[in-house]
Amino acid sequence: MMPGSMAELLFDSILVLTLLAVALSILALRQAFAAVLAFVTYGLLLAIAWVRLGSVDVALTEAAIGAGVTGVLLIAAASRLRRSIPIADKASPGIPMRIAVGALCATISAALVAAVLHLPTPAPGQALAAVANLPSTGLGNPVTGVLLAYRAIDTLLEAVVLVLVLLGDWSMAPDGQWGGRPGPRLAPEVNGPLGLLVSVLPPVGILIGIHIFWIGADMPGGAFQGGTILGAMWILTWMAGRTAPPHTSSERLRLVLVVGPALFLVAGFAGIVFAEAFLAYPEGWAKPLIIGIEAALTVSIAAALAMLVAGWPSREAPR
Amino acid sequence: MSELLFFAAAFLAGTVAVGLIRILLGPTDADRMMSAQLLGTGGIAALLLLATASGNPAILDVALCVGLLAAFAGVVFFLAASQGGGPDRAEDP
Repeated sequence: MMPGSMAELLFDSILVLTLLAVALSILALRQAFAAVLAFVTYGLLLAIAWVRLGSVDVALTEAAIGAGVTGVLLIAAASRLRRSIPIADKASPGIPMRIAVGALCATISAALVAAVLHLPTPAPGQALAAVANLPSTGLGNPVTGVLLAYRAIDTLLEAVVLVLVLLGDWSMAPDGQWGGRPGPRLAPEVNGPLGLLVSVLPPVGILIGIHIFWIGADMPGGAFQGGTILGAMWILTWMAGRTAPPHTSSERLRLVLVVGPALFLVAGFAGIVFAEAFLAYPEGWAKPLIIGIEAALTVSIAAALAMLVAGWPSREAPR
Repeated sequence: MSELLFFAAAFLAGTVAVGLIRILLGPTDADRMMSAQLLGTGGIAALLLLATASGNPAILDVALCVGLLAAFAGVVFFLAASQGGGPDRAEDP
């Protein structure tokens, strides 16, 4: 990146110092809720830092998942644990152990700093090759090219992992509640601030979620970020009591959860027949196939993240 | 022009950074929550300034995303507090 002006330097310095201060307070804070809030704050600052480094794709993911969904999950967890349980309880280690751990961490940090300072310029990597071959996919965003074409296998596995994580979560349910609705029963709020938020935010949010998925082909964006926003809007309607999360035994829900990974797999195997390999796209078909897979993935990711936030089935199973 | 916008963004970042002290000091969890929400608002403003200053419209999408999701932490906090099992209120005066 070009050396910036005075004002850019000032902004970056404030950003970096705040990031370091917040990172230290996450470690120093001894109350779970305060530490979680510091962590959410850290995620948001990190998103701005990624913008300054020119990685807008990463910034978008960090803002949606790091500061958004993870924040909701952690705050809910910290609230459930309550503050009566301090993070460092009786089992804190003795002084020699602390010195040993500190020395080890300092050594690893020093090694990382040395590695970064000794990176050759330009750094070795596949970035140039990725951009050079992008026209063959018909895409405009090299990050989407890497995720859905060059390294599609990684993205496929990620999409499958999300379904497995949800299955693991549901398995926490006691036998009698398997297949029931997750989350507490919430009374609908009509007049309060939450009622206003649920009337105003979802229409705008659904539009922006679809926009971020769609624009991912040519600009920063994509299925994960768009899906996160769509899932968040669904969650909001549960929180305000307007709708309830579906029964986990619902066939329709399960179909939505697997449609993305399933379509991805079908396209992958079709690549063996119509192109040269698994997950290879036939000549000229790359872009429409990628957008189709991403559309299905967006829906599946939205549903999976929302159901993860809702938790395991905790109400009576349907008869 | 972009110089001025970067100064404005730096000023915003500095103001929000001072506000973050409330996460450390509290005294109540609501104060901590408000401090984090302030960073959400200030962060959106800073991102909008950066988008204009650097002429990259993709940054606007990051600002939109933060704008949509920043309120969620507050909603979860409110729900947890109103269900009683939520954030501790012992420190409330």
